[in-house]
Amino acid sequence: MDPTQLTIAEASRAIADGSLSPVALTEAYLDRIAALDGELHSYVLVLRDQAIDAARSLAGRPRQGALHGIPIGLKDIYKTRGIRTTAGSRRYLDHTPDQDAETWVRLRGAGAILLGKQETHEFAIGGPDFTLPFAPARNPWNTAHYPAGSSSGTAVAVAAGLCAAGMGSDTGGSIRGPAAYCGIVGLKPTYGRVSRRGVFPLSYTLDHCGPLTRTVEDCAIMMAALAGYDPQDPASADVPVPDYRVALTSRLDGIRIGVIRHFHEHDAVAAFGPDSAPSAAYTAAFDAACHTLEALGARLVDVKLSPLIDYLDANRLIMLAEAYALHEQDFRERPQDFGHHMFARIALGAFLTAADYVEAMRQRRELCVEFARALDGIDVMVSANSTGPAPPIDAIPTYSTFERASYTGPYNLTGSPALSVPIGFEGGLPLAFQIAGKPFDEAGVMRVGHAFEQATDYHRQRPPIAAPLPGRS
Amino acid sequence: MADQTISSERFAVLVEQAGLKLTPEQFAELHDGYRFVQRMQRVVRRARDRAAEPAHIFVHPRAERP
Repeated sequence: MDPTQLTIAEASRAIADGSLSPVALTEAYLDRIAALDGELHSYVLVLRDQAIDAARSLAGRPRQGALHGIPIGLKDIYKTRGIRTTAGSRRYLDHTPDQDAETWVRLRGAGAILLGKQETHEFAIGGPDFTLPFAPARNPWNTAHYPAGSSSGTAVAVAAGLCAAGMGSDTGGSIRGPAAYCGIVGLKPTYGRVSRRGVFPLSYTLDHCGPLTRTVEDCAIMMAALAGYDPQDPASADVPVPDYRVALTSRLDGIRIGVIRHFHEHDAVAAFGPDSAPSAAYTAAFDAACHTLEALGARLVDVKLSPLIDYLDANRLIMLAEAYALHEQDFRERPQDFGHHMFARIALGAFLTAADYVEAMRQRRELCVEFARALDGIDVMVSANSTGPAPPIDAIPTYSTFERASYTGPYNLTGSPALSVPIGFEGGLPLAFQIAGKPFDEAGVMRVGHAFEQATDYHRQRPPIAAPLPGRS
Repeated sequence: MADQTISSERFAVLVEQAGLKLTPEQFAELHDGYRFVQRMQRVVRRARDRAAEPAHIFVHPRAERP
């Protein structure tokens, strides 16, 4: 059979029992990239020779764990020593770092193989932008549609079977948005849980690094390698890391789940207008997902928080201020090096004051306390993700980031772990919801996501382009 | 939803203060986008107790582990 159809957990078992070799698995992924990525644009650099060499080097070495021989990709903001890392920008088009991102060091140490660097919105914010050196990645379910961003290439590659898993980054939803539109799993871990060292920053206090995978179990496998203290990341937290796979169960008896309905049922339209209304199919899918959680034994209770916009605009203002501070000198001295969307969005940060930033941070603290109190007596929260199917890729306005409702930003503001899981389809395109939890309780979040997967089959449905190549099935 | 509430003349002053050199197209686009900045400012600027601070805590890195 085609080994690229296997999850990480399945491929890992096959490698362990000798029925699959890392070289065969790596070559199968490289063949798919060569055959399909001309249409999907998920990679900006394919490391064919290096990947095969790395796979060969694993032969005869003791198996290091579940990632031994598993081919992955990295969003092109993760620095890779001796390998071009562009951040999706002309500004760094010829940039070859002399260090590796700490996350890549950990994944490689666990036996992962790097297939290549994957398309990103410019500096994780400017996209989809057709003025950039690299074409925007396209949704594998329908290439006329948007895969969301900014971890676009990684989500597309995972969904289309062009890598087993990948690493994204998330400042306002850049892991969970693409996971939702591409029908896969994306985890934004707790702020401080996974090192950001060696990853191009967008916004220091909101940036998170995390995995995109096909299943929650695969996510747990990635997190086993990724999670943990990094003394050289100033925001890293020295908190014990549990065995994430042990926590995965098929029942949720005794689990208490808060449901934040007002974000999508009321707040989105109230603050952003009718264009932000959830589709009827989305509302039905969200309600059905909640019923599934109840059927698994969980007890659900509606939760009321401050309005969505209070969370979103505090998040957006902080992001703008921090991102502008990072790029101010370049914006003044070499604006021609930036794509249209990146410049138009982040230059707005020039018009914020120091008092605006401080007020946003004060509001952030209030909302963090509110969210923590709401979780008192509750194990996890569920809330909407993108509340409709992916739109056409050529219909994304410059200021889409600010003019529409989004449901992912609140958890960047609070730093909470948040997982996107598929919950259905509309018009042949995936839908998803989020499961968020208490600080450093990624295990609890993944437990709920995994149990939901065991009761549904949305995560098993793959886009037609993910089918085995001719002669491989 | 966000409504435009700044004139081109006043916005030009903000651009000048920021030290940005914009093409006419960039100026028009950022001027349009400024309504989102104003909305964010309205959302976060509200009456708060003076003791409501953004509680920064200091965490010093430990020595490298073996």
